[in-house]
Amino acid sequence: MADRKMRILVVDDANLVRLYYRQILEEAGFEVEEALNGIEALERLLVSPPDALIVDINMPLMDGVTFLGALRRQALPLSSIPTLVTSTESKAADIEAARVAGANFYSAKPVGREDLARTMAMFCGVPQ
Amino acid sequence: MVDSSLLDAEEYRRLCDYLYRHTGMAFTEARRYFVERRVEDRMIATGSSSFASYFARLRTNLQGELESLINASTVNETYFYREDHQFACLTSNLLQERLRMKPRGETMRIWSVPCSTGEEPYSIAIWLLENWAEVDAHDIEIVGSDIDTSVLEAARAGVFGRRALMRLSRALTDKYFTPAGPEHWQIIDELRQSVRFTAANIVERAETRPHGLFDVIFCRNLLIYFDDTSRRVAAENLYESLAPGGYICLGHAESMSRISSLFEVCRFADAIVYRRQPEAPHG
Repeated sequence: MADRKMRILVVDDANLVRLYYRQILEEAGFEVEEALNGIEALERLLVSPPDALIVDINMPLMDGVTFLGALRRQALPLSSIPTLVTSTESKAADIEAARVAGANFYSAKPVGREDLARTMAMFCGVPQ
Repeated sequence: MVDSSLLDAEEYRRLCDYLYRHTGMAFTEARRYFVERRVEDRMIATGSSSFASYFARLRTNLQGELESLINASTVNETYFYREDHQFACLTSNLLQERLRMKPRGETMRIWSVPCSTGEEPYSIAIWLLENWAEVDAHDIEIVGSDIDTSVLEAARAGVFGRRALMRLSRALTDKYFTPAGPEHWQIIDELRQSVRFTAANIVERAETRPHGLFDVIFCRNLLIYFDDTSRRVAAENLYESLAPGGYICLGHAESMSRISSLFEVCRFADAIVYRRQPEAPHG
């Protein structure tokens, strides 16, 4: 049994989206951290690695696919943090690009409240 | 026929003359309903049993009654989730309609003007988070504008008293505000960063044009304070600020059809709103 809350890092440039996901995840019992783009996310990872990541694709400075590539090039255990990619793009080519970069799962936005919480529980191995 | 008017024609004329001489505000017959409701509120507040006794109180300005009536009639008294049936219409109909017409991925732009101290644009943000399951799937920009720069400062600070929060549930208050001193609450940073506040006078085209085109405009309880000329200018500017097919929501006592024929009336389950004609399809 975990004696601490599982921590999720939400990487998305939209304030409202980060707030929306934060509320869903906090209600589901997670602790949430936020980053506005890939560069900020990489910095956060090094300071305190989360248990799972939620990463948007279209972001300024460093997009989600570039970030994923950089994440997977880190040393273990950082490089293996499970990552959900969320995006408004839902074409097969977009999903494939995220998979190749190292996504564990891909959800087209809008992501349902329950789906988001359930996927993170699964990534963190939280029994429900 | 039952006459539901509080004042007879002569009483209403005397009241309007009096207000016009003391404030310059020209209340016409068209605004009778609005004026009567304010007078009714003040009669109750002062315990006046008839209009005659209230009018006597007003003319002698007993306990500053003239100022109280003026404040009741002009002060941008507002609060969170005011007329929220229009927000319901926003999430049930307007946004979906706009999404159907917009190029995919284009930002959804919502304008609150006048925004006063921020209650309306922040309400829109909260409403979207709580009631729009697609809130994460679109870029949303919420802009609040007002002619009064002092209210914009307050809006950016986002600190509100109990009255402004009276229509929000405890759960929503806990979720979106943090205590900020006795009887005051500050809206959380994420929301403050989600709304942009700018100065704009809607009768000046040079001030509205730089704001670009909006999908939905909330302009509630402003046009009632204008005379016919300013009202027409404002309506034209608002029209020019709407994307083709965009919507505008007015206050419940206001009617755009009475001001301008530019817009078409749209009736939805939760509200009546006005729309700028979509551009005719080419070919």
